[in-house]
Amino acid sequence: MKHTSRKWSLRIVVIGYLGLLVGLPVGFLLIHAFNHGLVAFWREVTKPNAVAALKLSVEVALVAVPVNTVVGILAALILARRKFFGSRALIVAFDIPVAVSPIIMGVALVLAYSKIGWFGQWLGDYGIRILFTPVGIVMATMAVSLPYVVRSVLPVLVEIGKDQEHAARTLGAGSFRIFWQVTLPAIRWGVLYGVTLTIARTLGEFGAVLVVSGDITAKTQTLPIYIFAAWDQNFDSLGAFAGAFVLASISVVALIILSSLRARERKLHVDLA
Amino acid sequence: MSISLSHLTKRYASVAVVDDVTVEIPEGSLTAILGPSGSGKSTLLKMIAGLEMPDEGRVVIEGDDVTDVDPRFRDIGFCFQHYAPFRHMNVAKNIGFGLRVRKQPKAVIAAKVSELVELVKLDNKALSYPSQLSGGERQRMALARALAIEPRVLLLDEPFGALDAIVRTELRHWVKELHRQIKVTTILVTHDQDEAMEVADQLLIMHSGTIEQAGNPSELYDAPATDFVHGFLGPTTVFKGVVVRPHDLEIVSPSSGVMEGVVTSIMELGFEVQVTLTLSDGSMPWVQMSRNEFRSLGVAPGAPIAVRERVAL
Repeated sequence: MKHTSRKWSLRIVVIGYLGLLVGLPVGFLLIHAFNHGLVAFWREVTKPNAVAALKLSVEVALVAVPVNTVVGILAALILARRKFFGSRALIVAFDIPVAVSPIIMGVALVLAYSKIGWFGQWLGDYGIRILFTPVGIVMATMAVSLPYVVRSVLPVLVEIGKDQEHAARTLGAGSFRIFWQVTLPAIRWGVLYGVTLTIARTLGEFGAVLVVSGDITAKTQTLPIYIFAAWDQNFDSLGAFAGAFVLASISVVALIILSSLRARERKLHVDLA
Repeated sequence: MSISLSHLTKRYASVAVVDDVTVEIPEGSLTAILGPSGSGKSTLLKMIAGLEMPDEGRVVIEGDDVTDVDPRFRDIGFCFQHYAPFRHMNVAKNIGFGLRVRKQPKAVIAAKVSELVELVKLDNKALSYPSQLSGGERQRMALARALAIEPRVLLLDEPFGALDAIVRTELRHWVKELHRQIKVTTILVTHDQDEAMEVADQLLIMHSGTIEQAGNPSELYDAPATDFVHGFLGPTTVFKGVVVRPHDLEIVSPSSGVMEGVVTSIMELGFEVQVTLTLSDGSMPWVQMSRNEFRSLGVAPGAPIAVRERVAL
């Protein structure tokens, strides 16, 4: 009896904690997004500026996620398979963009690429503008979502070790085949997890993007910035709620796809002993 | 000679883990490299496979100098202590991997795979995944995978090290039998002297990066070249200041003895009995004998005895 009551009180604490921090706010968001009915919600999310913001966010993700995935896998392979001078420092360097506040990354990017710095001036001489353009937004987004793939793939690579790759090599396989047929299948869950986190961060990034984008409506406004602008400047709370609902939905769908893929895989193979 | 290694040396941060090893491994033999952990035996094996690059020396396989040849072109079968299965492929796909790499026709691969699953007694598990196999089954799968490419040399790195005692014994017998059937030159790395003595027809004893002695198991057991080999290959005790095997000593009645003393303690281990003595010179050798010998001797702790070396027949 006593045991059961303790189990229940623990559950209530956990559920209560989650409820206060996640459930309640998201619930209110849901209620308010649909407060004025589906028609009003649809009108809000199909406003030209909202559509432009969503489009920009998706475009940024379409560039940033694949690039960061490829770079992340390559970096993890190098860091896990080759020990070289400074490799530890490099692992730490990959974490810097998420360890510091996004605002700092944004400001740092402005310093580097605006006319303030010699590099930005030099680029300007060749007519290359990065700040206040989608290119700048992509760069800021890639910077803040850089470590996720590296960080989720690196421990998996270290854990599986080199034996499978060595076995494949003695069986005659070249590096390309070893990567596609042995290494990548072995790290696929790490990659998928990292990609999911990267997508979430890429779509949701606010601070760094705000600083480098210049917040130009319908031009350099990503969905999170649109939501903030609607809420803060245009007193359009329904627009903010509707946009927030769309943004949250995309992330939740990504999470659901990931976990259902995993469940299917578990069913197919008795789990690794 | 199937494999010849000359002046092979590997250093990690200026410490030589393999130090100027020169050795010939006969064609078709089953050779065990035996040594304690850290003796460099695994590194030596990996250099033969090309998975480690030597700092000095040459590796020659069947007359070809392969020192600078990538492992993928050496035609070597390599098995790892932890089997290194491709976890996302079933048993048949694992075994067929090397053949697919070699772009063999599908029918040829299928025929070879079904022949091999039978050879390693996994014919009812061909569609299972590695996670569904026991340790012994995984190692048999790894062996079949290595054999599929018809390697010139089969290299086994502590192949039984991660298995429990019963499976280990079974698999040892099986590997010996397999080698008798297919006769591929095989090198096995192990730290277990029983395993090496039982399976191998040639032994290389390694100690701190060098080869202490090479030869067949009984030669090495009977005529160990160094104290290390003596101690590593079987039980030893010290009699008259010399290292001897405890079963080469014989307890006799005090009158006929060379050195007198008393029985200190007796340990009965089933068939084997170990009798520890305290001799007049203060030394404490122990004598190994069969249960029957011990019975007929009829000694108890404190009994006065004499001891001498058995006369070789």
